[in-house]
Order: sequence, then C-alpha cells, then structure tokens
Amino acid sequence: MVKLWRIQLCSIFIVLAGCAGTGNVYRNPNMDFGAIQSIAVLPFSNLTRDNLAADRVRDVFINKLLSTGAVYVLPVGEVAKGIATVDIQNPFFPSPEEIVKLGPIIKAQAVITGVVKEYGEVRSGTTTANLISLSLQMIETQTGKIVWTASTTKGGVSIWDRLFGGGGQPMNDITEKAVNDLINKLFK
Amino acid sequence: MKTDNPPVPPFCKGGVGGSGAAILLMFLVILSGCAYPKGTVRGGAQARAKKFQIAVFPVENLSGTLSPLKEIRQSAIDRLRAEGFPVLEEGILDKFMARHRVRYTGGIDQGTAKAFKEETGTEAVLITSVELYSDRVPPKIGLMARLVSTGEKPVILWMDGVGLAGDQSPGILGLGLIEDPRELREKAMSPLWGSLMEYLSGGKGEMGIQRVKRKFSPKVAYRSFEIEPGKKYAVAVIPFFNRSDRKNAGEITALHFVKELTRIEAFDVVEPGVVRQGLLNLRVIMEEGVSLANANIIFGILDVDLILSGKVLDYQDYQGPSGVPKVNFSVLLIERENRLIVWSSESYNQGDDGVVLFDWGKVNTAYTMTSQMAQAIGRGIVK
Repeated sequence: MVKLWRIQLCSIFIVLAGCAGTGNVYRNPNMDFGAIQSIAVLPFSNLTRDNLAADRVRDVFINKLLSTGAVYVLPVGEVAKGIATVDIQNPFFPSPEEIVKLGPIIKAQAVITGVVKEYGEVRSGTTTANLISLSLQMIETQTGKIVWTASTTKGGVSIWDRLFGGGGQPMNDITEKAVNDLINKLFK
Repeated sequence: MKTDNPPVPPFCKGGVGGSGAAILLMFLVILSGCAYPKGTVRGGAQARAKKFQIAVFPVENLSGTLSPLKEIRQSAIDRLRAEGFPVLEEGILDKFMARHRVRYTGGIDQGTAKAFKEETGTEAVLITSVELYSDRVPPKIGLMARLVSTGEKPVILWMDGVGLAGDQSPGILGLGLIEDPRELREKAMSPLWGSLMEYLSGGKGEMGIQRVKRKFSPKVAYRSFEIEPGKKYAVAVIPFFNRSDRKNAGEITALHFVKELTRIEAFDVVEPGVVRQGLLNLRVIMEEGVSLANANIIFGILDVDLILSGKVLDYQDYQGPSGVPKVNFSVLLIERENRLIVWSSESYNQGDDGVVLFDWGKVNTAYTMTSQMAQAIGRGIVK
C-alpha cells in the first residue's frame, strides 16, 4: 500500500515537471548560439523617470557580457557610428531591415536591444525599496529575426523590508543581479 | 636529517670576507653600471639636480565655480623660486602665449612645447588644474598638477594631486575641523608643491600613494589576455564622455587616469595636450565613445599602443556639512594591433561605502575616490 502511494507521488512530480514552462524566456530552437562571436548592444529604451537608467544598465550589461569571455561586445562608439551610418530612425526598436543592414557594417552577428521598465525606488505603504525591471531581446543580423528574449525583475519591497525597514538593497547591487540573471538565461 | 643544499658559488664560500668581499664589491660596481636608466618620463636624479627654467601656466579651472586661480599659481611660482628654480617671467610668458595663440592652459601640444624650448629656453611647463573648489563650510578643494617637458616631444615628468575637505579629520570635539578656505588651500598646496620639489631634487615626488582599498576596485571588469604583463605600453587617455550633472567631469576623470597611469611603470602616458591637439587637428568627433574609425586615426597620429576612454555617469561632490560624494564611470581600453577591447570595467562608489561607525573610513571628496578607483583599474590592467 505504501509502495503504491510512493509511485503515485512520483508520477505526480514527473507530470508536474513536464508541465513546467521556461518562464519569461524565449530561445529560438533552430538558432546556433555558439556561432555568435560578436554582439552589438544597442541603446536601451528608458521607460523610467531616471534619465540615465538605460545608460547605467547598458554599461553594466556590456561589461558583464564581455567578462563572461563567451562573446565579444563591440565598443559603444562603434555601435553609435553604425547606427548613424545606417540611419536607424529609432535605435531602441530597429526594424529587421535596419538590423540586416547594420550587421555587416559593424561586423556583428547579433544585436541586443532592451527596455528598462523600472529603475529606482518603489513604495509599498510606508516601506520603500529599490527595484529594477528590464527585458532584452537578441536579434540575428543575418535574418533580422528575434532569436532570444528574456526579462527579469529584481529588488522590491520584501517581507524583511516591511518588518524592519532599511530601504532595500542598493540600486547598483540589484542592477548587477538583474543583469546576471539575464546573462544566465542567455547562456543556459 | 640530511638536506639537499644547493651548490654554493665559489665566491660565497667562507663568508663575505677577504677575497669574497672584494668580488662582491666588484659585482656591485658592475651591476650599478648596468642599472637601467629611468628614462625621460621620470628623468634621472642627476639631470634633475640642475636648476632649469620652468614656465607656470595659468591655472585651468575645471571646478565649474569661482576659484582662487591666481593665488594657486602664485603659490607654485613662489615655491619654485624659493627652491632656486628660475621661473619664466610673466611678461615673456604672456607675449609667448599671445604670439602662439595659446588659449588652452590645461595641456601643452607638440608645437607649443617645441616653441617654448626654442624661443624662451624653458625646459618644463607646470600645468595645474582645479578640480573642486567650495568656499562653503566645510570648504573643499581638489587640485592636480603636472610638469611637462618642452622640446620635440612633450613628456609628463611628474604628476600629482590632492583632494581635501575641511571636515576630513574632525578629531575629538571637532577640533580638527577646518572652516577657513584659505587654511585648507594652504594645507592642500603645501604637500602638492612639496611633492614637486621632491621630484625636482631627485626623488620620486609622489605623495599620498596608499594601498588601494578593495572597495574601490571595479565592480565588473573584463581583461583580455592580449595584455602582456611586464610589457611597456604607450597610452593615450581620451576625455571621458560626460553624462553626469557635473561640468567637466569627463576631463576630470581622464586627468585622474593620466595621473594614476603615470605612476605605473608599465605605462607611458601621452601628455593630454598632445592628445587634444591631435583630435582637434583631424576633427575627430566622437559620438558616445571611441569608434574603430576614431581609434585608427588616434593610433596613427599619436603612435600609441592603447587608447583609454570611457563614460562618466556620476561625479558628485556635496556642498555643506552633510552628504556623500558619488562616482560612477565605465572604462574602455582598445589595443592597436587587433583594434579589440582589452579592458572594460564598470566602477561605482559612494563616500560612505564600507562605513559602519562614526563615519570612520568615509571619503569626503569625489577626487579621493576617483583617484583610488583609477589606481585600482590601472593596477588591474597590468596585473
């Protein structure tokens, strides 16, 4: 009887594990990510009140991505020159045609675009804490197709903050955590 | 227990006495003859014992506020004269600057350096920049100065700086507080010119070099294997792209890197005036940062191995008694051979980082923090 109960429990777990989704990540199953050697990180779109939020997050992301040693990230000046050469109207949300044109000019196999949705202090009742929310997408320059997207949210008001205050973690720390999370999702 | 001792060289046998001592002495004499000359960057002690003529440039104001520029310059002139160094006469300097249309006093380009030597016989130019000046109690000051040789190729001979706040060392019952800006100015200038005099008298002339605290290390860093330890690199430091609220933060941060890299043997830093003139001559316009086309031009005109540039996002000093300075910048180093990024890092710090009790360890000026952060990066590049 006990044995039967254990088998049933195991099968429930297996069924549940099979139902598990990949969360807020999309990866093109046909894409060979190992073939990507150089990436251009385009300016991120900023939906926050902090004017420099997108620049801050982009800088951290570029450095973290370079420090993995897995891919080469082009200098931001080179990317800016490429954007100007191709005359991309909206570098935050370039069209597939623009990306196909940009790729050979800056010699990048993929470009990453991003949106910073939240950056800064949030309030919940009398408690405040720092929060970051951003989403990124990788577009292949050969076809202009999206091959990877992911988003993350870090920080915010925790139970600890509610009970003891403290204002949450520093903005730079949670930015690094969010960027690490996205890079883990990219290389997973 | 038997141990395997290494074979003893014949001249060491029997201790250092008699013929052994003579051979050792001979070795020392030969070795001293083989000593590597310090080169033009730092200048040999013997060469510096000679009292040569120095021109003192008008002080460059990067603080964005009214600063006692004349007083700072006069203080340098007085100190040099007191030590017996001839300073180029005011009238001659004015005429020279008018004749050559020298308006930028934050550096010296090749043409001006050559003309200085040929027309006035000046051997070196003292260039001083005020980075921070605040009269409000507690006062604050940040100064950087460098001595640049004249002639065919201007070379940074010496560079140092100082950043002080009146409430830096308040001591017991606030007895150490400095409320008079003039007192603080003197306190800052005295060791700065002292460092210059030390250099001119044959010493190293580097004050305030301390072990960099771990908290000032870059938070995220990438270092390529292309950088070979032990190799000497010529570096051009390009003014940083300034996205902060602070006026001239890009130039200030670049100067910090010039200062800190000059102290590291592995780097030959190009005089910023030469870099500026090169960029102006070829009308190099940088959008957001250095592109590879820009890098090609810079490598070509300056004949350097590395280009260091970056972006400043925060460079904040606080006014009045309360607050903390805040600095945030990213650095990019591009090498000549493959035009690749060999170093990239992100640094940010606040004055109260790591402070737990009674403001112990608090840093009161962005100057001090940036110096340490730049030094940490410089050492990280060549480690």
